[in-house]
Amino acid sequence: MKNRNANKTEFSELIEKHQAIIHKITMVYANGQSNREDLFQEICLQLWRSYPRFRNESKFSTWMYRVALNTAISDIRKKKTDIHFEQLHDNDRLETAPSDEKEQVKLLYRAISKLNRIDKALILLWLEEKSYDEIASILGISKTNVSVKLVRIKQKLEEMIFKIQ
Amino acid sequence: MNDKKLKDMWNKAETLMEASAYESSSIEQFISGRSNDTTQKIRNMIIFDLVLKALALCALAIDFVLYFGTTNVMSVTVAGVAILIPLIFMQYKLLNRFSEAADNGQTTRNKLASMLTYLKTKFFTTLLSVSGTYLFVFIAGSLLYFYAAYGYVRPLDGVDFVVFLTFIILGIVLNFVVNHGQVKYHIKHLEICLNDLNDQNLKLVSENIELQRKRDRANKLLLALVLVLGILLLIIVFKNIGFIAK
Repeated sequence: MKNRNANKTEFSELIEKHQAIIHKITMVYANGQSNREDLFQEICLQLWRSYPRFRNESKFSTWMYRVALNTAISDIRKKKTDIHFEQLHDNDRLETAPSDEKEQVKLLYRAISKLNRIDKALILLWLEEKSYDEIASILGISKTNVSVKLVRIKQKLEEMIFKIQ
Repeated sequence: MNDKKLKDMWNKAETLMEASAYESSSIEQFISGRSNDTTQKIRNMIIFDLVLKALALCALAIDFVLYFGTTNVMSVTVAGVAILIPLIFMQYKLLNRFSEAADNGQTTRNKLASMLTYLKTKFFTTLLSVSGTYLFVFIAGSLLYFYAAYGYVRPLDGVDFVVFLTFIILGIVLNFVVNHGQVKYHIKHLEICLNDLNDQNLKLVSENIELQRKRDRANKLLLALVLVLGILLLIIVFKNIGFIAK
């Protein structure tokens, strides 16, 4: 039991260090503060449960993306609230930002929110500067498939941003 | 809009949206909490069933001791134990299979495909096994109750019999309907995600599922047989054909 508790502390510190990854995923997959917190907790829990199977075969961050994205993609719980993106970002995190930058970020998030769950994962990994190899190994598809899909998703995003503007 | 502009926008978001930073103590609390995930609910259902089956097994063993010398009741308890032990092993194996399928550490494609395969092929078997538990818990519990109340197995009249059977069948059917509805929604979600990942994925997984289904047909038949045997045991206990255990 002592060993398990020590592990828990060590694991929590590791997650604390890498929590930005989880925050980015919750921003893309959940609407509203409370849904984001719920998803954050769920991802932490799933990471902890999968941790004994982590064999250092890949980088810790790659493994973390994999577990966190799988959790977010499979999350089919009924959402507590369905707040629109304008509301969401005006209300909480962007209050202090200059308005043009705020608009740009809002635009990007609004466009990403319209993608399906798989496309969200792909674009998020690409925006996070992951290589095609890494994206392919996280999602389990071929590198060619990654590149073909990304071209299409970027095009879709561009169109959506243009339309919203 | 070029790639650079998109990435600039993304990086701006990162700096503008200061996410609430959690301390490791909060994260430690999160990982000690309860999951609301559907897969966790299915895992809990299997674990709960395993515990229930183990309890029924213990109760049947106690019944065997209590009714020692009463050949027919003893035979029923032995038959119950003989059926329950393989069922417990099978359910344990299903739990392991489910844990493998639900593991979030695999690639997204594998996770979606293995969950879909499990839900489409093994979930029905899991539900059958869970439903079977009601019968054994009922038999073991009733034997204990009759021993405590009368010291022997009281023969049931027609009305008792209909009431008990109705409750058991209702329990089995309700369990089936509730879980089936939940899983149907989950299956639809997995199919959509797999299709979005790659158009060919769903076709490939469907072929695997068909193959798996053919292989599992024997398991399902065996479980259906166990359910029928369970009902027969129930009838033997309560009809007390030709004997009253005193």
